Amino acid sequence: MPARNHKQWTATPDLELGEWVDSRIYSDEEIFEEELEKIWKKAWIPLCHESELPEPYDFRTAIMAREPIIIVRGPDNKIRAFLNVCPHRGMAIERRPSGSFAPAQPSGNPKHMTCMFHAWQFDMKGNCVDIPREKEGYQDRLDKSGQGLRALRCEVKYGGFVWVCLDDKTPFTVESWTAGAMDCVKDSLDEEPLEIFHYHKAIIDCNYKLWHDTNSEFYHDYMHYHNRVTGFDDGYFQRECSAFDNGHVNVGTFTVNYEEYDVAEDRGTLTFPHLPPNNWYMVDMFPGINFNLRGSAVRFDLMTPLSANQVMIEFRGFGLKSDSAKDRADRIHHHNTIWGPFGRNLHEDLIGIAGQGVTMMPRSEPRRILHGRHEGLYIHDEVGMRHFYDVWGKWMDRLPSDPTQKYKQGKVVGPEMPPAKGLSTFPGKAAAE
Amino acid sequence: MSANGHQQREIVKETIYKACLNLDEQKWGDWIDQCDKDFKYSVTTYSHEIRRDLTYLILKYKELKPYFDLLPKHNTDHSPIRRHATVYSVDMADDGKSADAVTSFLITQEMFDGINAPLDSGENRLFLVGKYHDKFKVDGDKVTFAEREARIFTRRLDKGTHWVF
Repeated sequence: MPARNHKQWTATPDLELGEWVDSRIYSDEEIFEEELEKIWKKAWIPLCHESELPEPYDFRTAIMAREPIIIVRGPDNKIRAFLNVCPHRGMAIERRPSGSFAPAQPSGNPKHMTCMFHAWQFDMKGNCVDIPREKEGYQDRLDKSGQGLRALRCEVKYGGFVWVCLDDKTPFTVESWTAGAMDCVKDSLDEEPLEIFHYHKAIIDCNYKLWHDTNSEFYHDYMHYHNRVTGFDDGYFQRECSAFDNGHVNVGTFTVNYEEYDVAEDRGTLTFPHLPPNNWYMVDMFPGINFNLRGSAVRFDLMTPLSANQVMIEFRGFGLKSDSAKDRADRIHHHNTIWGPFGRNLHEDLIGIAGQGVTMMPRSEPRRILHGRHEGLYIHDEVGMRHFYDVWGKWMDRLPSDPTQKYKQGKVVGPEMPPAKGLSTFPGKAAAE
Repeated sequence: MSANGHQQREIVKETIYKACLNLDEQKWGDWIDQCDKDFKYSVTTYSHEIRRDLTYLILKYKELKPYFDLLPKHNTDHSPIRRHATVYSVDMADDGKSADAVTSFLITQEMFDGINAPLDSGENRLFLVGKYHDKFKVDGDKVTFAEREARIFTRRLDKGTHWVF
């Protein structure tokens, strides 16, 4: 077909319901606000890792569905989460990204969270323990015992990640929320303590789901020269995508041929417990979290939606706490070669979603975004995105292909078929060589 | 400082500024030629977010050429980056055979194809801020980079870059 006129361009594609979405789900401000309420304020989100607050009185701050969060480790070594909001006049209690409450602050005592504004002080359990001139100002009308912080549901799970949920009444534990999606990596993450070695962030003008989509589909591997030369073999095309309840997906492993890339080296001597050398598992957690266990390093992406057309993505890297200095340096090198801010792949992935953000600005013309590849649930099958949007539709009670309509079930899984074969299917093969 | 020491110090400064020009103009080979065979390049930072020293990139001398040679095979943001650098200090070793220098730099990016070209091409954006901590081998008038640590103060790096800075 030649280039299309407007009617043809906006027509329903020759695919089944569930195999495409309407671009308004990536750009509409009303939908975005609804997502924060119906999804992000209900889901369990891993906001940081326990190694970011290793000592009692350490803290880390975060944002979740626009709510300011503070995570602290108490003297009992327990990690707790609270809204980072002073109950007095709404000042953010802690302004730093991380630190320790062990030393005294200009307005407060050691080992306390202190709001600098009027010096209200809280212990690591969130109890309000001091209101300056309490009796003089409030007489018997208000007592500090009733002025504790807003406590949040918090669990440390799967290798020490700190999961928080804003919904006190969530029916889920972290384990039931993840619904088996973490099973493929949990032994590797739980065998011994992990330790963070990498952090950087990106703020990209696009909807958060576009980054989650990119993490969920591997068809875009054609974009990466690194992947073309290290991966496109029969084993790659036998990687299976598995869908789990609550919108999660994981992608099975294969053996990456790192030696095929001139600046990489084999990583087989340095891996994770229970992970065969040079293997690679990916777990995409609804609504915007990604765990990537690849060879010698774990990558963890956390999305924080900022607006319909803006997302903050925090990138973390992990090794084993027991690493020797050399092993740690090697893990960092391996991680950064591909996933660092100056590595080869992450930059390319982020260019991809920045370009999508350009075409899907708020109030731009609605378009069809295709998620209709069926390859027997193997690596280039787009079942990950279809599953995500099927669950998204249920949570939102909206139809992803027409978000003005109520949800109804579309096609998620296609026909069974054998995996594709190797590099011969790559259209840019000559250029790659 | 002797006249000879002053002269060598100036040569170190000129070497740093020449490297800036080479990197600005993406003359990767000319920059490699300024480096000793044992040269090591790293990008580091201190993250206040996780309260740790971080290493974002390490390249050894033998990795530089293949690293640059592969660039055309990668999709990339071609927006050129350029640096504004000021050499703050040059410390010559007593024997005159090595030197250390600290150079403050800002990297700007001339927007081209990275995001939304019809809107932002032609604009320059601040990409990152840092200091070069350089070590040199000095042999008379010949000064070569022995080590460069680009210690940056930026951790919001958005898309990052494939270019070496």
